[in-house]
Amino acid sequence: MAETLMTARNLTKSFGALMATDDLSLEIAGGEIHAMIGPNGAGKTTAIRQLSGEITSDAGTIHFDGRDITALPMHKRAHLGLARSFQITSIFLPFTVEDNVAMAIQAHDGHSFRFWKPARSDPKLRTPARETLEKVGLERRVDTVAASLSHGEQRQLELAMALATRPSLLMLDEPMAGMGLEDSKQMITLLQSLKGKVTILMVEHDMDAVFALADRITVLVYGKAIATGAPQVIQADPAVREAYLGEGRTCSA
Amino acid sequence: MDRFKPSVKTWIQAAGLVFLVGLPPAASALGESFYIGLSSRILIYALAAASLNLVLGFGGMVSFGHAAYLGTGAYVVGILSYHSVEGSAFFNWPFVLAGTENAFILWPAAVVASALLALLIGAISLRTRGVYFIMSTLAFAQMMFFFFTSLEKYGGDDGLSLFARNRFGSLDLGNDAVFYYLCLGLLTGFILLSHRLVNSRFGMVIRGSKENETRMRALGFEPYRYKLTCFVFSGAGAGLAGALIANQTEFVSPSLMHWSVSGEIMVMVILGGVGTLAGPVFGAAALLLLEEVLSQYTEHWMLFLGPILILVVLFAHNGLYGSLAQGKIRNG
Repeated sequence: MAETLMTARNLTKSFGALMATDDLSLEIAGGEIHAMIGPNGAGKTTAIRQLSGEITSDAGTIHFDGRDITALPMHKRAHLGLARSFQITSIFLPFTVEDNVAMAIQAHDGHSFRFWKPARSDPKLRTPARETLEKVGLERRVDTVAASLSHGEQRQLELAMALATRPSLLMLDEPMAGMGLEDSKQMITLLQSLKGKVTILMVEHDMDAVFALADRITVLVYGKAIATGAPQVIQADPAVREAYLGEGRTCSA
Repeated sequence: MDRFKPSVKTWIQAAGLVFLVGLPPAASALGESFYIGLSSRILIYALAAASLNLVLGFGGMVSFGHAAYLGTGAYVVGILSYHSVEGSAFFNWPFVLAGTENAFILWPAAVVASALLALLIGAISLRTRGVYFIMSTLAFAQMMFFFFTSLEKYGGDDGLSLFARNRFGSLDLGNDAVFYYLCLGLLTGFILLSHRLVNSRFGMVIRGSKENETRMRALGFEPYRYKLTCFVFSGAGAGLAGALIANQTEFVSPSLMHWSVSGEIMVMVILGGVGTLAGPVFGAAALLLLEEVLSQYTEHWMLFLGPILILVVLFAHNGLYGSLAQGKIRNG
């Protein structure tokens, strides 16, 4: 296996009496697609929020690329090469598709205390933005206002914004959320094309997608990782079948 | 979006500018030079509203204390002019700061003082969100109001009269038309600067933060620093408006800092069109003209102003200018 890119050790997070993350340890290897699955309320999104720095952990440490990032806020982690997408589509709705991606590029092109030159005609932002949009297949929609995209396209844009910063670790919170069959297939193909180029940690409910994409799977139940391993191992794990996949359900790999 | 074609918006702006430039000679010709003073007042409030619009319209920061910066700018002019006439120093330690009536010193000083106040207030208020932000900006402004009310040396709540308008090189600011054109020039300059600002990289960060701050952080921005900078620019603009209003009325008093003034400036922004560059000018004109006209008929003019405001908010969602220019105005 390749070198470890991110290591989380003994993470905890509680909201009042609710233990959302309970002594969670996780290793993400460079280059892999690592899926995090688990029933609703297992703490998957909370884990993503802790790993990305949106919320601080009550205890535990996070190392990324050999560096302790436990205390770093989200925007600083982003500059180290950590990008994320959101479960609830988080794009800038009044802006055009290209504006959205250019914003991501801008975040990684030095400070933005630049008050004079128009950002919308800056080729340093616009050219890479268009390139990224071609990658995700939105090149025809560059001038469309994000609010008028279809749901599937908005999810693609969400991914494009995360990709635009050329991250070394991409954390995707349910990239297929709310998508129809066609859109899902397209997204799976897109993510497959990223395999090996960027390390991905993905939370997903769509088991077809998970088994089509993941190199390794971690199963979360009540904020604890009950199993980690290759898809076949996870599928065969009796504890996982018991806790998550449920009686009598078979997974199509 | 920024491709140039003479849109409705361009026509409105051009027509508005021609009207404003032609107003003083027209008013004099009609023997109604009173309107030059009223129009100067409109332009000055438009400047204050345009500066509030930077934070409110583009940054989504609902500052309910902009009167504080307006008043601070006015008091810098008022206090230093007072010392100049009296021939005394504002303070003697650690260095001597003598009074002056020179606009080239006073107005930049007003801008800097208001910017510093905005830096202080913004640095604290911007750590809060939503209604707490609104309340803390209001609370700071009320503190300023009571501070100047208790400042007996400078007239307390009676305020302070200026001996004359400031000296501005060879321009005679005592001439209402000259003063009017200066206000028009400064307002136009401020709006052009704002146009560059909101379309720059900085402006994109400000507008992105208004939409979704968490997303901005996930992309790698730290919105706080940018929002605070925007807040300081806004305070500076309001400070300049304050210096102008002190000159226009030749009088400063704490009433300039009253929360109702903050409210009026906000109404101007909303009336004209939140997040549009020319909107605040229309808003200021609409509000002050309505006030002028309605108050001639009844002293209860507020009673009639209220319903008009409600109608505009209900039916002209983008404000007067925003609705005239139809869509497309979101990008400045």
